[in-house]
Amino acid sequence: MNNPVWKVTKFEFIRQIKKPSFWATIILIPAMIVGMFIISMLISSNNHTTDPTINEDTKIAITDEAGVLPKDYPMLTNITKDEGIKQVTDQKVDLYFYIPADFEETKKVDFYHISEGLELFNMDGETIKAILKQATSPKFSDLDIVALTGSFDVNDNKLTTTGESSNALGHAVIPFLILVVYFFFVTLFGGRLLMTVVEEKENRISEMILTSVSTKHLIVGKIFSMMLLGLIQMLTLIIPAVVAVIIYKDNPMVSTVLSQIVIDPVTIITNLALLVFSIFLATGFLTYIGTITPTAKDASQFIGPVIIGVVFPLYFMSAFMASEPSGFVYFLTYFPLSAPTALMLRSAFGTLTTPELIIGLAEITVLSVIIIKVTVKSFQKNAINFGLALPKFGKK
Amino acid sequence: MKNIVEIKNFQMKFGNKTVIKDLSFDVKAGEIFGLLGSNGSGKTTTLRALLGFYTPTGGELLIDGKKYDPEDTNITIGYLPEERGLYKKETVLDNMVYFGELKGLKDPKEWSLKYLKRVKLEDKADEKLEKLSGGQQQKVQLGVTIMNDPKLLILDEPTKGFDPMNRRLLMEIIEESHKKGAAIIMITHYMDEVEKLCDRAILLKDGVAHAYGTIAEIKKQHKNKSLEQIFIDVYGGEDE
Repeated sequence: MNNPVWKVTKFEFIRQIKKPSFWATIILIPAMIVGMFIISMLISSNNHTTDPTINEDTKIAITDEAGVLPKDYPMLTNITKDEGIKQVTDQKVDLYFYIPADFEETKKVDFYHISEGLELFNMDGETIKAILKQATSPKFSDLDIVALTGSFDVNDNKLTTTGESSNALGHAVIPFLILVVYFFFVTLFGGRLLMTVVEEKENRISEMILTSVSTKHLIVGKIFSMMLLGLIQMLTLIIPAVVAVIIYKDNPMVSTVLSQIVIDPVTIITNLALLVFSIFLATGFLTYIGTITPTAKDASQFIGPVIIGVVFPLYFMSAFMASEPSGFVYFLTYFPLSAPTALMLRSAFGTLTTPELIIGLAEITVLSVIIIKVTVKSFQKNAINFGLALPKFGKK
Repeated sequence: MKNIVEIKNFQMKFGNKTVIKDLSFDVKAGEIFGLLGSNGSGKTTTLRALLGFYTPTGGELLIDGKKYDPEDTNITIGYLPEERGLYKKETVLDNMVYFGELKGLKDPKEWSLKYLKRVKLEDKADEKLEKLSGGQQQKVQLGVTIMNDPKLLILDEPTKGFDPMNRRLLMEIIEESHKKGAAIIMITHYMDEVEKLCDRAILLKDGVAHAYGTIAEIKKQHKNKSLEQIFIDVYGGEDE
């Protein structure tokens, strides 16, 4: 291909992937983070029998059509299954158990509760028993509910207040994965991108290269090469995950998690669009820093604000999880440096409306184009400025 | 003969400091032009402004009749700048092939290997550039500069720091480019190079032309003194 952008992209891409440090960065760091995540997930899976916690105010109702519980069991009601579900969605009852007439054959209990959080695991029999025991102790012992002391399965039905099936985590998985890719891209490649931009000045290549290729083609080529590297990084995360899923697909925990994941093409496309333009914006900021600093060492001092912008919204995760976003969340959603992460978080938690998504995407796209144009001009202007070239404001 | 470079009333200021006052000269197609002067006289600034790295405070700097824009030019340019370097962590061949591709060579690898053999660096092709000596790196840089047979070759002290043998080799290579039709603008402090190679020259001091014309004309204007003596006279024997 004769396009100069492609020639720059190819050169920058090949020389990066030849470096052992590149592979160490994209494999070891994500592996460590994923490893820590898996460990914490395993720990939480071992403890999940305590979830949901109940207290004195927790309202529990049980419809026992099989007659396995003592007649004077405190939470027993005569309501039908549909009425029980309605009481849950009306929030008159917190936890509703339905023991069907054929329980002795099916060994299955239906369980309904409101869930707007990110509960990964379904309730199992042991959890149900723990809840009932906690709710009735000391009046009733395990012996009083002997029919439920054996093993049985639970149909865990998480509901929203509108009565729809709730699967907040399942909806959040894909946007979260895309956010992780963005996070890794900026944190792992930010410094590398800066280095490739500063390198021309540091090694006094600027004048030779800029009489061989235009500044615009050079900068865009460098950004594209970083995006290709990001793609490699994404594959290094996805391929092992897919292999692991294929190998462990019969594992109950893996199959439970997989069954929860919602694959919605619209969500995937909008989040990928957010990812691409967010990467353009972040690389634009980073490249600009590269154009105004004389050495990689100087440039690294300025990388902080960009990284902070990416990470900052993560510190306020609980604010993002609220169903009604606060003013602060809106601020982070539209503040240029934090906008990509904030938009992806809100998309993950289902609080991002379509108009907000369009405004957010438009903002990121326009800012990306502006910052890349400014960067091209700055690179041309500072190509042979071997000192720090911070922009001057006010009177010249 | 057609002017390939035209500089008209060029002025350049950095802050309050005037570097070039009012400079005008032209370079004709196919000639070798010497841009002479002491350090700080404005030679490199003039070339950088010509190539768009600096925005002139006043005047016009044209290449082939228009302001230089790498995206909009019909003329091939080779520029060996004063501040020069290549990608140190890459091999000699990778560096040359990359620049060859950018300059549109059909087979940059073949050209590069041939050139490296010519300058006796064929055994260094696969070595990282940083492993080469300064002189060897300069040879590679000159190769990168001339690889696309430029119509305008701009050389800022091309033989600086070379031993006589390598200086001669590089001058031969530069002459070959000239024979292929390149106009050459050369900054050098070696007056023997100017007398031997240049058709015309300009001598700058503090951003002002103190001599301009063919080498014979300049000498005639200065009582047929040698270029070196003219240089010393213009600068009044001051320390450089």
